Formats: sequence, structure tokens, C-alpha cells
Amino acid sequence: MRRLTLITKSRLDLASVCRAVSDPRFGAVTSFMGSVRRVHAGRTVRSVSYDCFAPLAQKVLADIAARAEARWPVRVAAAHRTGRLSVGEVSVIVAAASVHRAEAFEACRFVIEDIKHRLPVWKKEHYATGDGRWLPGCSLRGRRR
Amino acid sequence: MKRSIELYGRLRDAGLGASLRVDIPAGANVRGALKALKISLGAKASLIDGCALATADAVLADGDRLPSGRLALLPPVCGG
Repeated sequence: MRRLTLITKSRLDLASVCRAVSDPRFGAVTSFMGSVRRVHAGRTVRSVSYDCFAPLAQKVLADIAARAEARWPVRVAAAHRTGRLSVGEVSVIVAAASVHRAEAFEACRFVIEDIKHRLPVWKKEHYATGDGRWLPGCSLRGRRR
Repeated sequence: MKRSIELYGRLRDAGLGASLRVDIPAGANVRGALKALKISLGAKASLIDGCALATADAVLADGDRLPSGRLALLPPVCGG
């Protein structure tokens, strides 16, 4: 079965991502869903723009999922949104399925943490005051993979 | 040799456009290319602090020889 890893401008759907990992052998499915929040660092946020180096991001996301599957007996799916999202819209979804819950929880956590640290995606918050700011992040310099 | 380098994230809002054309010595490695970039940016040189060079396939290490093809300058990432 082909693994689902997706960088997309389209709206994300939790049920679709979870379906991609479901299997009669697996009794546990965990998921993580990130969305745009209204307040960040005391500022009222109207929307967030997600920029992305798409060809590399597709490969990195697939690599993150593959590493999780190599480390735990799980099946993983992940999707990340790009473009401008309003408050409440979903920016990222991770799902992990396994025979038992422990590995599914661990793999799901691993994938979202690696997305935060390795995926070539950037976000700019747009505030109610009309200005905006690119958020600081993790440098990829010196990282081989 | 002139190379085109794509810009992402905060670099796109720095008044540099979506890409830069930079003169990079033939046979330069990534460290050398970043140095050339810094010089070409002049007063905006600090913009590339923490940035990495990458192809469509991989993030490049400082000692890597600069490959041909697509190149991108990636600021620190913050997906999710």
C-alpha cells in the first residue's frame, strides 16, 4: 500500500488522512491536527501564510514518515497545507496506526516534531493591526538529511 | 559563474524578489557560495544568517560542491 504524504494548497481532511493508515490488523489509530490559532504571543492573528519549497518538502515529508515506520511497527500518513489560512483552518495532519496504542502515539509525536524541525515550510502571521511577521524557526544549515 | 538562487520565507519579503542572480566562483563549495551571497547582499548580508542552501532533493552541507540545477536559499523552518 502506498504511503500518503502530501504538501497541498487544498483543504485538509482528518478522516481521509486517518483512512490512509487504517488496516484490519491495526487496533490503534492516533492523529495530530494543527490549526491556525487566534492569538499568538499576545497578538491577535487574522490569518497565516505558509510558504514552502515544494519539491524538497515532498521528499522530506516522505522521509520523515519512512523513518517513523522504520523505527516503530506503524503505518504513517501526513499532510501539510500551503497558502494563506484563516484562524481555525487546519495546517497539518499526522496519523499513525499500529497494533497497539503506544507505538502509534510515539510515532505520531515523532512525525510532528520532525515536521517542525526539518520540513522546508515557513509561516507568516497576519495580525488584526494590519502588519505581519515571519516566525523564527529551526536552521537547516549543517543538517545532512 | 552566475547562478540563480530561489528565495523562500522571510527572504521573499526582503525586497530581493523571488530569486537572486549571484556570481559564484566555478567549483565553489556551499560555504564559498554562501560567502559570495553574503558579499553580494551588502547591507542586507545578515538576512542569510541561519540559512541553508538546498537542491530540490536535499539540504546541502557546507563542504558539498555546489551542484548544477535548481538551488534554493532556505531560512530557518517553522512548519506545522
